Amino acid sequence: MRLGVAAVAAFIVVFFAAIAGGCHKTRQAATPLADFSAPFVFGRFQVPADNPLTLEAVELGRRLFYDPRLSANGKVSCSTCHIQRLAFTDGRKTSVGVSGKPLDFNSMSVANLLWGPQHFFWNGRAPTLEEQTLVPLQHPDEMGQDLGRLVRELAGDARYRKLFETAYGEISPSAVTRALASFERTLISCNSRYDQFLRGEIKLSEQEELGRKLFMAHPDVKVSLRGANCIDCHSQFLTGGSSARYDGFSNNGLDDEAHLHPGLQAVTHNPAHRGLFKVPSLRNIDLTAPYMHDGRFNTLEEVLDHYDSGIRNSSTLSPLIVEADNRGAAAAGRISLHLTPGEKTAIIAFLHTLTDRDFVTAERFSDPFVSK
Amino acid sequence: MNRALKATLMPALIAVVAALGVTGWWIYRGEQPGELTLYFHPFVGPKPLVLNQSSYANPGGVGRFKVRDFQFFLSNIRLVSPTGAFVEPDSYHLVRFDGEEPGFVIVLHQVPRRKYQRIEFGIGVDPTANRSLQQRGDLDPNSRMAWNWEVGYKFVLFEGTLHRGETNDPLVYHVGFAENYRPMSIELHRDVQHIRPARLDFRVDLLRLFQGATNIDMAALPSVKFDRGDAALLGGNFAGMISLMRSDAAGRSGRTR
Repeated sequence: MRLGVAAVAAFIVVFFAAIAGGCHKTRQAATPLADFSAPFVFGRFQVPADNPLTLEAVELGRRLFYDPRLSANGKVSCSTCHIQRLAFTDGRKTSVGVSGKPLDFNSMSVANLLWGPQHFFWNGRAPTLEEQTLVPLQHPDEMGQDLGRLVRELAGDARYRKLFETAYGEISPSAVTRALASFERTLISCNSRYDQFLRGEIKLSEQEELGRKLFMAHPDVKVSLRGANCIDCHSQFLTGGSSARYDGFSNNGLDDEAHLHPGLQAVTHNPAHRGLFKVPSLRNIDLTAPYMHDGRFNTLEEVLDHYDSGIRNSSTLSPLIVEADNRGAAAAGRISLHLTPGEKTAIIAFLHTLTDRDFVTAERFSDPFVSK
Repeated sequence: MNRALKATLMPALIAVVAALGVTGWWIYRGEQPGELTLYFHPFVGPKPLVLNQSSYANPGGVGRFKVRDFQFFLSNIRLVSPTGAFVEPDSYHLVRFDGEEPGFVIVLHQVPRRKYQRIEFGIGVDPTANRSLQQRGDLDPNSRMAWNWEVGYKFVLFEGTLHRGETNDPLVYHVGFAENYRPMSIELHRDVQHIRPARLDFRVDLLRLFQGATNIDMAALPSVKFDRGDAALLGGNFAGMISLMRSDAAGRSGRTR
């Protein structure tokens, strides 16, 4: 009897030890990114627990980002529509992929993605960067790639086999998305003149400083405060949408009621979200023309004219836009900021301080297939 | 000891030991710090607040208004008892009503089991935190509640539309500034320790921003931003905005979980 109990106990111990041993994979561990840092004013950020930033994952992600094998016809990579010297945009009104058919949306700059709305695409339809990468990969008009085929192709490349093995222990669609997301998370733009100003290293010119003040103020005639209310949507340091819930989405008066696109409503099914699009970061805005989700404006002057006097009213238009008027008492029905030409020029001068030459030339973000 | 006696005593002994163990565990568990849920139910006067849909009468004049966004900072939560206070660390909560729940929930963790007399918190952000770029709790200088680093945070944000006949006027109330930080103290008159589940229900009444020390007509004052005098009008009414609900009333209006 006692022997029996001992035998059962021994069996249980051995059984669990075997399970534990079986789960333990013996592979070379990936190297955590030791020197990863970001400006204090950008605030907190979160990297998913199941996809920690490692040297190997980032290196792998960078290769994948620039590899046209990710597309059906072997000609389109992520970098086709996200070109480094254009702050990872493509200069087109809307992007064009394998099918040659213009897509619905303008290519969005890929910078500082750890902050701001953690809902990706202009209408916020991807809740993580990992899920985001799957969409262009498989979309018939973008890269049109079959995931099974992609994995087989990558497995045929010794360099990829080694990188995948160290970073994720396997070559799989999930590992591809996690690697791409890891590389994208390292695309941090934080050495523009505005950043240098925030760090107290330089002074802005008088005109840039006027532009900065206008950018950072919602107008209030009562206290003689002139402003362009940019900051109402574009946060003060990141210059993009806020991160909490759907705060980083807005209807910025591009279309009237009849022509309002679904926007965020397509994702949330909330009628109050009709016509709301993601507020993009304005970092490197000088390089990311054309502007808006559909690339309708070619220049920053056109953008400023839109916000100053081109706003179209609709039921979901932000009351902050309707109310903002530097002449006060939102002159009967006409929505306008009533900025002076000099003020508009000053705001554009400030927007130019958001250009980060280091970001658009850094070798660690560049095409690894090109020998320098 | 004969076998029969042994057979009777052993189960009895085991039962006694088990009973002692369970009782001890029960007492131990009762003494352990626990969670306290604060549930905030939004109202516009007597009616529940429904964003974007319901319209409400302008409390100080003509017209009806809709609420697009209503949120505020609630800071520095403390529970006070004669034997000591519970102070929530990094206590900065952005209370908002656009989530899945009809109300807003704050869960206080590791609250010692004591008889608390009152709960204290502030409406807004205390001057020290308001001057800082440190991210504590829900404070975030890149959020829509931040004005800019020279001004600090909006304490209470209410945006909507006032409908008067054919005219639709935007309503923008962004109320901040150090002088409008409002410390509150609410008597509990009961023993938090014995509430199961441990929960306190609060009524948040948007209308009270416009009624109280000063009555405000939204048509006459459709926006409050940087004018300190205007901000003080709403700031002076902050204290009436939050009150403790009787648990039976809370049970009717809020979803029990």
